[in-house]
Amino acid sequence: MNTIIQNILVVIAIILALGFFIKKLFLKNQKSKKECGGGDNCGCH
Amino acid sequence: MSKQINVALIGNPNTGKTSVFNALTGLNQKVGNYPGITVEKKEGVCKLPRGVKAHIIDLPGTYSLNASSLDENVVIELLLNKNDKDFPDLAVVVSDVENLKRNLLLYTQIKDLEIPTILVINMADRMAYKGISLDLEYLETHLKTKIALVSTRKNQGIDKLKNLISNYKDLSISHCIDLSEIDPAYFKNLQSAFPNQLIYKLWLVITQDVNFGKTDRNEIDAVANFKTKSKNDLKRLQQKETIKRYQFINDVLKKGQTIDVANAKDLRMRLDRVITHKIWGYAIFFIILLTIFQAIYDWSSVPMDFIDTTFAAFSEWTKNQLPNGAFTNLLTEGIIPGLGGIVIFIPQIAFLFLFISVLEESGYMSRVVFLMDRLMRRFGLSGKSIVPLISGTACAIPAIMATRNIENWKERLITILVTPFITCSARLPVYLIIISLVIPEGRFIGLSYQALTLMFLYLLGFGTAVLSAYILNKVLKIKSKTFFVVEMPNYKLPLLKNVALTVLEKTKSFVFGAGKIILAISIILWFLASFGPGENFNNAEEITKKAYSTENLTSEELQQKIASHKLEHSFIGIIGQAIEPAISPLGYDWKIGIAIISSFAAREVFVGTLATIYSVGNDDEDTIKNRMAGEVNPILGGPLFNFASGISLLLFYAFAMQCMSTLAVVKRETNTWKWPVLQLIIMSVFAYIVALIAFQLLK
Repeated sequence: MNTIIQNILVVIAIILALGFFIKKLFLKNQKSKKECGGGDNCGCH
Repeated sequence: MSKQINVALIGNPNTGKTSVFNALTGLNQKVGNYPGITVEKKEGVCKLPRGVKAHIIDLPGTYSLNASSLDENVVIELLLNKNDKDFPDLAVVVSDVENLKRNLLLYTQIKDLEIPTILVINMADRMAYKGISLDLEYLETHLKTKIALVSTRKNQGIDKLKNLISNYKDLSISHCIDLSEIDPAYFKNLQSAFPNQLIYKLWLVITQDVNFGKTDRNEIDAVANFKTKSKNDLKRLQQKETIKRYQFINDVLKKGQTIDVANAKDLRMRLDRVITHKIWGYAIFFIILLTIFQAIYDWSSVPMDFIDTTFAAFSEWTKNQLPNGAFTNLLTEGIIPGLGGIVIFIPQIAFLFLFISVLEESGYMSRVVFLMDRLMRRFGLSGKSIVPLISGTACAIPAIMATRNIENWKERLITILVTPFITCSARLPVYLIIISLVIPEGRFIGLSYQALTLMFLYLLGFGTAVLSAYILNKVLKIKSKTFFVVEMPNYKLPLLKNVALTVLEKTKSFVFGAGKIILAISIILWFLASFGPGENFNNAEEITKKAYSTENLTSEELQQKIASHKLEHSFIGIIGQAIEPAISPLGYDWKIGIAIISSFAAREVFVGTLATIYSVGNDDEDTIKNRMAGEVNPILGGPLFNFASGISLLLFYAFAMQCMSTLAVVKRETNTWKWPVLQLIIMSVFAYIVALIAFQLLK
């Protein structure tokens, strides 16, 4: 695995991580409505 | 030939209704189905005094007239349809002497339909065992009916019941409650739209879509411009109706029924007498808690050590297998240590839920709720707040959602505001790692100091919640309290399958829920810790070598100095040092500061964050715990995680509102940002002050 591929993978990982937080912060209500109120799987952790 | 009386036998399931039916009808019975459905219909004939005959129908068991199943619907359809050939001249409501309070709900509903009703109190032979005595005269007067005390097992009271049935015309048909009181304007409108109809029948039709005569919900909408309410409003009114009925039942039973627990003779009552005792009950609960926390520590140390060393070895193995590069570093210094920081707690989380599940399955948890109810009332909270508070030990989110069944708004608000103080499972990893670092491993009467500290933190969370509720209760002034009814289930051996499923589900939810956040945070933290701006970061090697040129450092020591210099001048180092002045009085360095900020996403992220920060630039195969133990306080010297800073951190996490999901749910439940913002400010400031005092006193 050369340096370029490694760097590309790192960039992808960082974009995915940032995307996850953007989704969690801004699209949170949709998830909550679907899953909260039942078990513990409410996205609180 | 005299007319045959139509009698409907109605009652909650398991009240011995069918035994009463058999005792009344003997062999004169037939079994069929209700037209069009497969619900069984049992009918029989009973010979009464003076040659009168009663046609008796044993209706399916139902808890109330708020039907939720086809069986229950059969009961309501019959009671609402006067044109039905089986419409009863008399309803015989069968109740069980041990569950009279719950059984009377159905009785009051049937009574309010103006059907002559007799109350059968069955299983009378159990009264002595249970220490129950009844003032029948008082009950008959206040329940406005005649009562037959029956024991079908000993064939007692059946003749009296037959006599009462034959004299059913003497029975009063007056109501138990005045329904219109729960919403006078609404019921006044309803009555004026249908002046010739019984208001309670109309109400049942509206709430349950049950047709009777020619009136149905659509017609109610169309006729006389009557505006029925939304589904939610109707549900709220139904809840109010149920509460009003239970208030009526409580008032009647307060004088009409005495339960002398001291005279009870059966095993369940004997156990309950001890387990719910006002002193022994709490003592037993305390001992059970001690045992649980001790076991959590004793049983999980081996698997935890195994997971910790496995992750460290896996990180090292990955580094050796993959070519050098940024992505390899991301895996070995960011993702693997970060995930290891959460996986390590699986044994302890699993053991905690194993115990909770066993306590729930055995029936003990209901007794704990009962015990806590007694305690909480002294602090101004009702029993209904206990269920959310106890479920808050798993997670505050479902706990806050569970407050929806508290009708009184202020009481609900107080419960919402204090629930985040309860020690949730997300606090557990933070507590466990800090306790293992700063509390010695010694024992006191067989109990480890570490287990005692963990239990103290749980009690501290509960105590703070109760105390805050007391203060809020004084500030917000609650005038009326809601009622709380809890049914004590029988004690039973927990089913292994149920326990295993609960443990699996809770552990999975904890690991996968937290895992996603920790994975994302680890990636971002690794980036922020591995890169930095300016000369100080880019030329770290030269600067460090120059700075230590006069000292005889080994190659390993020099590498550590370079890594440390790079970390201090990385993006995260710059952010961390900017916030350090605010947290250094609490005994924390900038790395802990970063962990506190990132754990605002979820508390358990704290450990993963530290694991990632300490791994960046570190080639050693070392466990998270060892890395944390090896950290040195940059200002005071000595271990960073010492007794003073450790206690300060524990107290900070016990009180701080470190959970953005909880804040979002509080906003949604209170419909304003005012409460979550206040909650965040008050809890954070309080946590900061307590942590500051603790560190300054103990350092």
